Amino acid sequence: MLSAGYVLRRVLQMVPTLVFILVVTFVLVRLLPGDPLSAIGGDHVTDAQVAQARAAYGLDQPLFAQFLLYVRRVVTGDLGRSIVVQVPVWSLVGERLPPTMLLSGMAVAIGVGLAVPLAFASALRRGRATDLAIRAGAQVGLSMPVFYIGLVLLTVFSAHLRWFPVGGYGDGWGDRVYHLFLPALTLGVSLAAVLMRSLRAAIVDVLGAEYVDFARAKGLPTRVILLRHVLRNALISTLALLGPTVGSLLGGAVITESVFAIPGVGRLMIESIYGRDYPVIQGLTLSLAVTVSLAFLVTDLIQASLDPRVAR
Amino acid sequence: MTAAEDLLSRRRPAPRRFRPPSLPRPSPALAGGLAILAALLVLALVPGLVAPYAPAAFDYRAILKPPSFAHPFGTDNFGRDILSRTVWATRVDLQIALFGTLVPVVFGTLAGAVVGYYGGWVEALFGRVVDAVVTFPFLVLVIAIVAVLGPGLFNLYIAVSVVGWVFYARIVAAGVALQRRLDYAAAARVMGYSTPRIVLRHLLPNAVSAAIVYWMTDMALCILLGSSLGYLGLGAQPPTAEWGVLIADGKNYMNTAWWISIFPGVAIVLAGLGFSLLGDGLADLLRPKR
Amino acid sequence: MTMRPRFRTVLALSTCLGASLAGAAGAGAVTRGGIMTYGRYADSLFLDPVLNDANVDIWILSNLYDTLLLPTDDGKGVQPGLASAYAVAADGKSITLTLRDGIMFSDGSPITAEDVKWSLDRARDPKEGIWNFIDESIGSVDVKDPKTVVLTLKHPDPAIVAGLSVFNNGIMPKKLVEAMPGATLDDKAKAFAEHPVGSGPFAFASWSRGQTMKLVKNQHYWRPGADGKPLPYLDGVTFEVLPDDATRLLKVQSGELDGAEFVPFSRVEELKADPKLDMALFPSTKVAYGTFNVRPKLKSGADNPLANVKVRQALNVAADKDAIIAIVTHGVGTPMSSFMSSATPLHAGTGTEFPADPAKAKALMKEAGFEKGFGFPVLVLAGNVDEIGIATALQQMWADLGVTLEIQQVDNATLTARFREGDFSMRLGYWTDDIADPSEIASYFGYYPNIQAQHSGWNDPAFNTLFEASQQELDPAKRADQYARMQAIYRDGPTLPLYESPYPVVLKKSVHGFLQIPLGNNIFSGASLEK
Repeated sequence: MLSAGYVLRRVLQMVPTLVFILVVTFVLVRLLPGDPLSAIGGDHVTDAQVAQARAAYGLDQPLFAQFLLYVRRVVTGDLGRSIVVQVPVWSLVGERLPPTMLLSGMAVAIGVGLAVPLAFASALRRGRATDLAIRAGAQVGLSMPVFYIGLVLLTVFSAHLRWFPVGGYGDGWGDRVYHLFLPALTLGVSLAAVLMRSLRAAIVDVLGAEYVDFARAKGLPTRVILLRHVLRNALISTLALLGPTVGSLLGGAVITESVFAIPGVGRLMIESIYGRDYPVIQGLTLSLAVTVSLAFLVTDLIQASLDPRVAR
Repeated sequence: MTAAEDLLSRRRPAPRRFRPPSLPRPSPALAGGLAILAALLVLALVPGLVAPYAPAAFDYRAILKPPSFAHPFGTDNFGRDILSRTVWATRVDLQIALFGTLVPVVFGTLAGAVVGYYGGWVEALFGRVVDAVVTFPFLVLVIAIVAVLGPGLFNLYIAVSVVGWVFYARIVAAGVALQRRLDYAAAARVMGYSTPRIVLRHLLPNAVSAAIVYWMTDMALCILLGSSLGYLGLGAQPPTAEWGVLIADGKNYMNTAWWISIFPGVAIVLAGLGFSLLGDGLADLLRPKR
Repeated sequence: MTMRPRFRTVLALSTCLGASLAGAAGAGAVTRGGIMTYGRYADSLFLDPVLNDANVDIWILSNLYDTLLLPTDDGKGVQPGLASAYAVAADGKSITLTLRDGIMFSDGSPITAEDVKWSLDRARDPKEGIWNFIDESIGSVDVKDPKTVVLTLKHPDPAIVAGLSVFNNGIMPKKLVEAMPGATLDDKAKAFAEHPVGSGPFAFASWSRGQTMKLVKNQHYWRPGADGKPLPYLDGVTFEVLPDDATRLLKVQSGELDGAEFVPFSRVEELKADPKLDMALFPSTKVAYGTFNVRPKLKSGADNPLANVKVRQALNVAADKDAIIAIVTHGVGTPMSSFMSSATPLHAGTGTEFPADPAKAKALMKEAGFEKGFGFPVLVLAGNVDEIGIATALQQMWADLGVTLEIQQVDNATLTARFREGDFSMRLGYWTDDIADPSEIASYFGYYPNIQAQHSGWNDPAFNTLFEASQQELDPAKRADQYARMQAIYRDGPTLPLYESPYPVVLKKSVHGFLQIPLGNNIFSGASLEK
């Protein structure tokens, strides 16, 4: 069972990570060439106007003073206000994080749903035609750029067959799941390819393990061995992969979000970086880091409860 | 891409000294992978062997022409020959695969060995570093680094390396930690060998196989990252032909000139297949026989 | 490559489309009702007419905020708006504007002369935003009586009448803005812009950022349509944000959208062939060009060959504009004949500016002492297909001169930051006018005291003097002459003129009367949906 001490230790471990990310992001955004005022106004702005706006946003203050102010605000839960769109960062995060989380959740479901049966089929028929076909298919799934898969799916299933809408996010949860199916499939396919490869290897290992030999010797039917021993152990390994994967999905769905016109954090992040919208980049990175850390925490806790050796 | 390491590290390496495989029968996967990569290597070294034109040469009279005898893979909107561009891109993409992973492999392996051998607070500190790197949105980091340093392949390598080493370090650390507890390591200590010698000669070789297998996947993923950055305009700069950029170039012509994207796409799949087969083959080879 | 002849006919066709707004919308009765859905490449940022700064805002603001005068459909003149009449004094030093009867904001409250004074005073305040240069000549705004507003000018200004039709002079409800929470007027305006109430043909309904913005019909709009009843014909407009070009077009092709902006040039031909769609190419003031840094030394301290006017001319004549137009715009663009677009008032020039002449290019390079060539980088907006295409073509064309062009894709903020600091050799860019007057482009492109002539460092005293004189010249003939001379001088200027191109918009056949005027404004008030 999980001890309270283990859970507490895991939660406390998040703190240095988040502090590190806060500092790095603050420095990194200021290393980018230009500043929020560079992105604004284009050719129309005179130097005097830039200086005036810079002062208005406190960007003419010494860096350390800016940092202290930022930290003081963050500690009180204030992420500031966007310089480009003039909206509180909290409300932007609140609007843009849910679509990405729903998309990532669906992508993981599709990825695991595809990977587990395929990995079993492949591992159990190791070296035979099925195995080769599945592995070659996974390789194709892994090698196709996301924007290309996305456009092909949109052209075929949305524009021609009219089974799905052409991008967008929709209203209401049912409609949203419907809108997000194709993008989730796009991400899910490459995710499945990664998961499949690792899972197959894990299953092959487990199949060769002594306790499986032992179970077989006891005369347990293959089905029971597969379910009780192989699947359980393979799932523990899969969980270990999922934490980091959700992290990369949340921050890395930029291109999928663009192709499918999903108003998620990935697009907001890119737009904010291009716009040098310091408060938004900082607030968003921090929110994402908290979310991803929580995802790690949850997968770790589940893993620990399944496999007590982890919770040393 | 953050993935495989945990599983791989879970494998139980043999409790014995590493022996270089003594000419085992090459598995079909290994042979296939080697064959594909050897072919690509030839194309990369002597593209002129197959490519009929210079990769950046315009031909205003042959704009957006479908595949034909003169242009087997067709031409793009500048009248450039897609076959030549795809072939010349092999050199660039193999470079991306190699240089994008070289520093992570070397540095990550050494760091992993240290972490795995000493454990304790070194391991705890490393755990936090891993958390921070994995938690930071990867594409954001790459875009930020490319924006600071300017676009181009060299800066892409830097960006990828900043993050990539962590995964190798994790794999190797887990392997070394496991080996350290085994009898022969204790025996080596008893015999008075120095720490570097124990780590480098005894522990590392047994722990490194998982990292090598992951390396193969990583090379394929690195090429794919080039295409994501190509979509955003931050990868290889024109007129350099690079598979990912070539696919992105053809995006607006999907309905009217499919050939612009398809052939470089096939090339990426082929290269990916080569690396992955090689990885699987190496895994079979390095997996302890029972 | 020759230009595809079909372009001309479409131009004529889309001009007809424009004419429908002012006059009768075709022979048959106009259909009323319906919500038009329109795909945009990027979302708006900030719906305040004074503090905004981007085309994504500017081009839709006129649907929310009316101005005293409105730009004409050809973008070259003005027509009455919230003011039913205006009179410029004989000495050109004051303008008297008569407000229309019965005009109301979208919440039904009347638009008063006080609102007008407040809005113009805010728009011309040098501390507010970046557009106050348009109102620079206004000395004071006075309410003479509830229907009459008088502008007293500091000096005669030939551009001020056109200026009153620019979005920054949009009329806002003073009381509602001042009632918003916030310590300063800026804070109040920012809060107001999240849910604005305006004077335009449409009223703001809702906005999910990065996804959709919904506008509904302003029930109190003053302007009559072809059927005698007030505009707009539509019940509403819904903008959907679709950043990927291919997806945006797919959504029109599948029938989910009524129209979409920014069709890539590579898709124009294909969409023209689609019987369900109307591929419109609206005439524009858009020009694509390159800007050279002409300072004798670069930021790095190195000598700058581009400071030599002969070198710039050589690069200009070595660039085959027709080939670039064929490759990049797929024949949709036209060559430039001046640094300003031919749709800009007082444009002067005939024939292609710097027609391709490889022999002359080589001779000029030799004269300049660079017959062996040299190398320099060009900054290009990352991921912008048109700019990458242009740069790739230039790279090839200039290679014949021994000039090595290194392409550097950078994001917008990097580009602008380096541009403003003069830390560049060459950049690509495009420009659209915001006002039906040539003074805006002339000021930013050539008048050194404003922004060092596109930050190029080009400082021509004759150009500067002519520009200053033209800013107060009320005689149209004399002003036209000044502009002709400025455009002639600018041939030695810091740019590489490339092409003019229309606004490519794809619409369903059932959409009538939609218009994008040459200044870029999307006009939905005359649009209707056939049932």
